[in-house]
Amino acid sequence: MNKSVFKTIGLVSAALLVAMLFFLPMLGHYGNDSTLFTVTLLLASVGTAISWNLTGGFTGYVDFGHAVWWGIGAYTTGVLMSNESEWIPQQWPLVPALIVSMFFTALVANLVGRLTMRLSGPYFSIAMLGFFVFFREVVRVAGPLTNRGIGLTIKPVINRPLWYYITLIFVLFLVYLSWWLRRTRFGASLIAIREDEIGAEMRGIDTTRNKVMVFTLSGAITGLLGGMWAYQNTFLDPDIAFVEVRTIDAVMGTMLGGLGTVAGPIIGMVFLFVLRELLWTQESLLQTHLIVQGLLLGAVVLYLPKGLMGLVRGEVAFLDRFRERSSTFDGMESAVLEAQESPISDSEDEHPHDPVALHPTWDGRTS
Amino acid sequence: MDTLVQALINGIAVGGFLTLMVLGFSIIWGVMGVINFAHGEFIMVGAYMAWFARSEWGVEPLYSALPIFLIMFVVGFVLQKLVVNKVIDRPHLVSLLVMFAVSIIMSNSVKLIAGADFRRVNSDIQRGFWELGDIATIPRKHTVVLVVAIIVLVALQTFLQKTRLGKSIRAAAQNREAAQIVGIDIKWVYAFTFALCIGITAMSGALTSTIIPVFPFMGPPWALRAFVITALSGLGSVKGTLGAAMFLGLLESLVATYAPGSSGSQLAVITAFGLLVVTLVLRPQGLFGGLRPVDAGGH
Amino acid sequence: MRKRLRLALALFMAFGLVAAACGSDATDVVDSAGEAVADAAESAQDTVEDVAEDAADVATDDGAEDDATAEEGADTIVGTIKIGAALSETGKFSVEGKDSRQGYDTWAKWVNEEYGGIQLPDGRYEVEIVYYDDESDADTAANLVQRLIDEDGVEFLLGPYSSGLTTGASAISEAADVIMVEGNGTSDSMFERDFQNLFLVATVASDYTKSGIEAFAAKGAKTAVVAYEDTSFPTAVANGAIKHLEDNGIEVLAVETYPKDPTDLSPIISKFRELEPDIFIGGGHYIDAVLFTNAADDVGFAPDGMLITVGPSNPKLIDELGDSVEGVVGPTQWEPTMAYSGEWLGSAQDFATRYESYWGEAPVYQAASAAASGLALHIAIEQAGTTDTAAVREALRAMNVDTFYGPIGFDDRGVNTSKPMGTVQVQDGAINVVAPDGAAIADFSYPRGN
Repeated sequence: MNKSVFKTIGLVSAALLVAMLFFLPMLGHYGNDSTLFTVTLLLASVGTAISWNLTGGFTGYVDFGHAVWWGIGAYTTGVLMSNESEWIPQQWPLVPALIVSMFFTALVANLVGRLTMRLSGPYFSIAMLGFFVFFREVVRVAGPLTNRGIGLTIKPVINRPLWYYITLIFVLFLVYLSWWLRRTRFGASLIAIREDEIGAEMRGIDTTRNKVMVFTLSGAITGLLGGMWAYQNTFLDPDIAFVEVRTIDAVMGTMLGGLGTVAGPIIGMVFLFVLRELLWTQESLLQTHLIVQGLLLGAVVLYLPKGLMGLVRGEVAFLDRFRERSSTFDGMESAVLEAQESPISDSEDEHPHDPVALHPTWDGRTS
Repeated sequence: MDTLVQALINGIAVGGFLTLMVLGFSIIWGVMGVINFAHGEFIMVGAYMAWFARSEWGVEPLYSALPIFLIMFVVGFVLQKLVVNKVIDRPHLVSLLVMFAVSIIMSNSVKLIAGADFRRVNSDIQRGFWELGDIATIPRKHTVVLVVAIIVLVALQTFLQKTRLGKSIRAAAQNREAAQIVGIDIKWVYAFTFALCIGITAMSGALTSTIIPVFPFMGPPWALRAFVITALSGLGSVKGTLGAAMFLGLLESLVATYAPGSSGSQLAVITAFGLLVVTLVLRPQGLFGGLRPVDAGGH
Repeated sequence: MRKRLRLALALFMAFGLVAAACGSDATDVVDSAGEAVADAAESAQDTVEDVAEDAADVATDDGAEDDATAEEGADTIVGTIKIGAALSETGKFSVEGKDSRQGYDTWAKWVNEEYGGIQLPDGRYEVEIVYYDDESDADTAANLVQRLIDEDGVEFLLGPYSSGLTTGASAISEAADVIMVEGNGTSDSMFERDFQNLFLVATVASDYTKSGIEAFAAKGAKTAVVAYEDTSFPTAVANGAIKHLEDNGIEVLAVETYPKDPTDLSPIISKFRELEPDIFIGGGHYIDAVLFTNAADDVGFAPDGMLITVGPSNPKLIDELGDSVEGVVGPTQWEPTMAYSGEWLGSAQDFATRYESYWGEAPVYQAASAAASGLALHIAIEQAGTTDTAAVREALRAMNVDTFYGPIGFDDRGVNTSKPMGTVQVQDGAINVVAPDGAAIADFSYPRGN
């Protein structure tokens, strides 16, 4: 069979799937509120993974504090919609609150991105982890605005089918956005940054501007998802709005599915979800399900370095393939490409050569 | 009683145990380019072993620390051979995820075996305080950890500087391929380094089990602190780790003591992580010595 | 079964999207989709069969029960009342989750094995509790409550552990008009939402320290310091404590908060030592009690009175800390030694004995609160004479009974205001109730150690 046949099959089944998702609430008992709730949460985590993939996958900047945008978006919605914030006691309607959440998160992400997007590799990852904790504690002490550690409650008036459709349409839009973005010049410039940032710079790509732009976009998407979550959860405090697990899920899902691909985050999150449901429903595995999940994650990372997307494409690596990195740029191998450097600094010595002069990235910055 | 002196003493006390806790993390990253996400879980396992020794056989953590070091040295060696070796040449994200998997497996296995209850290790040696005249008090349990931390630091520094194996480790860290060319068995060096660091980390868990609460999911906050301190100190820097841990301990203590209002402790956390971000952005090589990116993969 | 459908859907979606997005090598899409649909159909079939089987089972059971309960005449088991609960088996609340579950099960076991089932006009009904593990996660707890309602078809809910999880979970049950009775989520803010279907058998957080502070004031304490973890429940307790301190003329010298996962509380305790207060009040969870006591030991902070929110009522704290906790005071929802009793489950001591025979350990108050939640629901259903939500809700509202847990009677918010909060003190390694006067079995010792 040739490629176009695959494509047709793929498109037809995707269309079928979307149709099924659209008709889910009409399936009576199978489309009850519980199912809708579960699928809504799954869709939201897929959306988060897609937005993480924009910076982590396309651009190669692995964000370990991504859940901070979820938290900020959730808190913006919470502050606006709850009457427990002393400074903003009015209860805003949902739509304006969500719009403000998205733009406010985008603004913060833009400012943070200007600082952290100059860092390379692991330093960017750690800085984002730092920002995550930083903002969580800021929310905790921002007394009259956020009601401190006590948290905020929002009136529970949710229409679950409607909410399901809103989430579904938004996530479908995100899938399209991610697909479309990859085909634009902007998307191409992101990939170029991932592959060879200095080269991209030399070819006249404004790398800093593009990086900050995609980071802002990624933050805005997650911020909106966080706001939507706050509305449906009806309660938030710093510890349930800022949760490391959300970052970990997005990273894990995207890695499992295939880093830097459009379908990767979707497949990976669904896979994770299915895995959890499977383990979770086995009574005998209730106590061990996290152990099993850990073993599986380790196995996938070790033996399927390109994720399930790689598997679908028939690329299964059972051996270390690190030396082939230069040519394989769909997988995680490419995500973090930096120079190896010497680390033990406590030798009596200063550093015999000045690495900065030789390799501009070695001082931890990329430009 | 003098508030400032007390704040300084508390800061140094915390800095002492942070040093011991973070050392292993920093060296593994520095030498091998592996970010040990399961770092906190090794602390946890060490603490549980000390708890077990104390509650079953009545052995003080100070005395069980050395056997724990040896046991975990072996465990680290095996783990390195079985798992870490496979990811050492891959980008740091891969090793990070594998170690993340290890951390999930470890914490949940311990929970399965020992239950999720909080444990606290009683100690007769690490208990109470000394009075420093009328000025301040010095907690004994922290002092013990600080002394051990200094002994470990000196021993480690000497080992890295003077012994053949230590020099090999430094060479491997500086330039893996050159080290291989001059005949250093890189796999052995890595295995030894990893084992050593896991041993030290578990030992730190054993000693601090008298200070901090012990439970299966205690690890992540300590791993996060290890990140902060390593970013401040520079990778694999022994002296830098001491400096950064002390700095962080003092800073947190001073902010917690002198911050106005009732949120001093939160402000201390904000300061610590704010500092991390500022350091990375303004002075990516760290405050105490050269921080240079290490990533697996080589050239 | 239905989970399999969802799974099939999810797999279908995954493969469809891979194929669409990359347009290559998705050979199995059609097959998978076909299988998925077939699976789903099969699941539906299974469900129908299961239901039929269950019905048959029930019929057989009935026959058996008839013989067993013959002496009770018409009181035969005619059905089952399904009750749901999401509890933490894993994650940070796994210990308290286990206590709560054992509490619920104590009640359920007693109802089914000894009491003979809940009495309704048409006969007796067994109780079945469906549990899920919420992993101490708010999203999961809310999701599971929705699942319990929609898929397991539970008629009533019992609460999860902790205020954070209960707040989200109760929003779901409120929207679905299902009654939730709980005993382990006590933050005041939860009951300021005008909910109709949420009932708390325990005392709200803000009143935790009331009887303890009154006892301190009676002994002449003049100054106090307060430290608490800056999360929902401890904050509610501490805000209540500050109010009760002021009401009793005790001056609050300082208030300090700290974030979750504290590493070391010595800085706060050192600050307090300088102020030389009469009493110290610490709010948090069990682990905070350990940290406070440790820090006080380490810096030589020894005020005349120490009141810690959670911990002193738990024998484990004494096992772990020994004489460091001597004289420490803490609030308790319930103790086995309290002089409460009722026609169900007997006296407080009877409950403790029963609990210990079931689980091999003494009950902590979290377990008693859980059992009391089940009992309150039980009584309301019997009084209403039906499982209809509105009728049971009215019965709960009107309830005024004495139980092993103390008097139960709910106010407009759904909070049990009939039961006072007790105060215990660690005395010679034993946990003695010292306040309020009605429940006290020992004298309050102040300053500590006297």
